Amino acid sequence: MRARVFVTLKPSVFDPQGKTVTDALHTLGYAAVKDVRQGKYFELDVDAPGAEEARRLVSAAADKLLSNPVIESYRVEIVDEATR
Amino acid sequence: MTFAVIVFPGSNCDHDAHYATTHVLGQRAEYVWHKDTSLGSADVVILPGGFAYGDYLRTGAIARFSPIMAEVRRFAEAGGPVLGICNGFQVLLEAGLLPGAMLRNRSVQFRCEHVVVRVEHADTSFTLACAPGQRLRMPIAHGEGNYYAEPDVVARLERNRQVIFRYTNADGEPTDEANPNGSVNNIAGLCNEGRNVLGLMPHPERACELALGSADGLILFESVMRAVSGREGRMRVAVFDK
Repeated sequence: MRARVFVTLKPSVFDPQGKTVTDALHTLGYAAVKDVRQGKYFELDVDAPGAEEARRLVSAAADKLLSNPVIESYRVEIVDEATR
Repeated sequence: MTFAVIVFPGSNCDHDAHYATTHVLGQRAEYVWHKDTSLGSADVVILPGGFAYGDYLRTGAIARFSPIMAEVRRFAEAGGPVLGICNGFQVLLEAGLLPGAMLRNRSVQFRCEHVVVRVEHADTSFTLACAPGQRLRMPIAHGEGNYYAEPDVVARLERNRQVIFRYTNADGEPTDEANPNGSVNNIAGLCNEGRNVLGLMPHPERACELALGSADGLILFESVMRAVSGREGRMRVAVFDK
């Protein structure tokens, strides 16, 4: 089972890197880009009997290690091997 | 008196901490590898600066799960003094031994310079010898020292007098220009509710000799030496009372 985890800073948390990227894009002429928030993306290969078990396991891993709940939130996607 | 200096893969101020406590202060210090499970007979634990686990994932995020950290937690919960310097502070935050988290510096630059911090409270294990309001000049060297916590957490820290060091200008005013990283309320260091665990971004161990540009950092180590001898005194009295 393949899982994807997207970790992003909470909306209330200032993102200095995202701000710098936004400024750079404006310098390049992309005035239409109003804001950039930078995050992290993980792909996990998980040995689990089903999608629900995989989601539970990956969520626990994201709570414990992949994200810091003080500043970040995350979203988990489970990708079935058969449909990949 | 014995200092334990925890060594993570990627620590690089462990030798500075060892040097300051042994060579400058004449105490005993022992390196404790992060995979060890005992702090030996340590009176004080130092989590040194550096880049534990290469700062992979987040600063301190992987180091907090090192085997020795369970022992550091026990030591801290028993009232033992724990000092987290720079990366050590970040480890304490990730471990939940101190509240909050670190963000990338507001400037997105790695800042390496001397700063001035104001001692807010002298009733912690590491500031006993300070006068409240005293200014200390110490170096910083970090890319992620932008302290953040939810507003209610910051309010609680202020109310509980847990903000111990604040970045200020030379006159002791916590201005925005004096804030090198964007930390909320110019917070440079804070302690736990028990006032025995302290984390700070500046490096006191690199400011222990005038040849290094400042000896202001010595007072943190002198404070904890006083705190430990006072604690031992109290423990002896307690034994005697029985």
